Amino acid sequence: MKAMILKEFRELRRDRRTMAMLIVLPIVLLTIFGYAANFTVDTIPTRVIGPGAEQVVANAPDLFEIGEVDADATTNDALAWMRDNETEVVIDTTTQPPTAYVDGASLFTAQSASVAFARMGDQVQVDILFNPDLETSWVMVPALIGLILTFIGTIITSIGLVKERQSGTLEQLAVMPLKPADVIIGKIAPYFLLASFDMLVVTFLGVWIFDVPFEGNPWLFAVGAGIFLFVVLGIGVLISTVSQTQAQAIQLAIMLLLPQILLSGFIFPLDAMPTAIAAIGRCLPLTYFVEIAQGIFLRGAGISALWIPFAVLTGMALLVFSAAVLRFRRDLAPSAHHRAKAKAA
Amino acid sequence: MAELLIRATDVTRRFGDFTAVDQVSLTVEPGEIVGLLGANGAGKTTLIRMILGLLPPTDGRLELMGRAPDREGRARLGYVPQGLGLWDDLTVEENLAFVDEAFGSRATAVPEALATSRESLVGGIGLGRQRQLAFAAALGHGPELLVLDEPTSGVDPLSRARLWDTIHESADAGAGVLVTTHYMQEAEQCDRLVLMSQGVAVASGQLADIVGGTTALAVRTERWQDAFAALDDAGVLVMLSGTHVRAVDASAERVRAALGGLEAELEAVPATLEEAMVARERAAA
Repeated sequence: MKAMILKEFRELRRDRRTMAMLIVLPIVLLTIFGYAANFTVDTIPTRVIGPGAEQVVANAPDLFEIGEVDADATTNDALAWMRDNETEVVIDTTTQPPTAYVDGASLFTAQSASVAFARMGDQVQVDILFNPDLETSWVMVPALIGLILTFIGTIITSIGLVKERQSGTLEQLAVMPLKPADVIIGKIAPYFLLASFDMLVVTFLGVWIFDVPFEGNPWLFAVGAGIFLFVVLGIGVLISTVSQTQAQAIQLAIMLLLPQILLSGFIFPLDAMPTAIAAIGRCLPLTYFVEIAQGIFLRGAGISALWIPFAVLTGMALLVFSAAVLRFRRDLAPSAHHRAKAKAA
Repeated sequence: MAELLIRATDVTRRFGDFTAVDQVSLTVEPGEIVGLLGANGAGKTTLIRMILGLLPPTDGRLELMGRAPDREGRARLGYVPQGLGLWDDLTVEENLAFVDEAFGSRATAVPEALATSRESLVGGIGLGRQRQLAFAAALGHGPELLVLDEPTSGVDPLSRARLWDTIHESADAGAGVLVTTHYMQEAEQCDRLVLMSQGVAVASGQLADIVGGTTALAVRTERWQDAFAALDDAGVLVMLSGTHVRAVDASAERVRAALGGLEAELEAVPATLEEAMVARERAAA
């Protein structure tokens, strides 16, 4: 038995990925969970409009971080800001009593705001926009679509590609008179199509079963999902190029998937995280897809409101997918790569 | 003279400090079967991967179909890797159809021996039949060159004989064949041989050229175990086939001296290819 235990430890010591899973991952998870797992929102970006703005600002609880105060803005301006996700709360003093418009798509923020306004009694009437009953499913379903696409894009794609390498057929493909682009597109296109199909199914089921509203432009959502798919498929291909076995690919994919689940704002609000942890979340593609999906589903937001997440995702897609294709191409046509290097030298 | 299908000149491949292939030269002409012989780790597969353009050489010059290995050159060859390169989750027919489409060739007929398995998943059929399928896939587009990396490994003798019939038929039809093997019986079927040891080509030529330089003595004695031990202790290269002791590349005097008083009859016999290989490897070490 002693020999068996020693053998196992020796093997584990040399398996750096498993060691990382065993030692580093718990520490990372504990740290991230400790800081990120916070449903309590400390500050809520708020704007105040109308003639009584100054008085409201003076009486507002500390929770509301008053940004812009615009006595001349109208209710329509307020609703437009909310749709474009420029602020979480607008207190409109053009009505009597003043109306607080609260973004129901930001679930925990809306809950905190509602509690704070309720403590103020009849001073303010609350109008929760986009998700009036604060349904969790309305917020979760659009984000879940991103999670499902991430799962298919990274885990399933990397497993499929590594299987080709593990069985030795990748070498056979490299010997065949196929262009590397044919092989790469041929390998990735089925996953892209299957993930797109999954996206449609989950979207329809989400709307049908959970009554999640779809307020925005479906084509804009399709474009956003397509760009996001390129990012996650690229990550899947990259994982496959650094993994020799399917088990390694799964390990690596899980290591990349977990932070996306925890730090993308999908479960815990980014606004409630410490700046450094939120900054990690801002580097993850799912964060931007969640913004796009919730914006289009619930707020009916257009490209003018969502251009930043679109631009960031497009940049990520170009970067990750190009890197993935170049690495995969190197596996398929090493001599061409070598010749190119030799020419450059 | 016909175009050389493969021309490797002083090809070297290093991985860090380790030299896997060291200044190996090799040619393959149309219609000839060239055997690449050597123990595991001799550098055979690395050399083949360089010839196919899957691995760039560190040094030396390589030509496949008269040019640096590229896609056009690879389109004219058929390759059976050690792992066979078949898709386990596709049927026999689907595997052939995919390869045909990739090479832009006419539909390859399912070999007769695989007729009953045409709709079986490749992962579910036996290794012998998988090898037959790999051969059929490699030959489907009428390649000018066959590159076979230990093509009969793990196959029963009858299937091996059938696969070699296929190799000879291809060579007779004008295809060049480069085949790696460590089966001596298979090496004897090659027109030319290149012996590799620790990355170096230690000998090349026809079978007679390679074996011709090696001598062997059959040592006939009742006390064959004692004879073997005595020769081995004396540093003589000694081979054992059943109870038959053979001393390789050693003079009768040296053998007698090593045997001491042990009574034995010595007879000069032709060396086998295996003995020649072991002698060359020992000399190279």
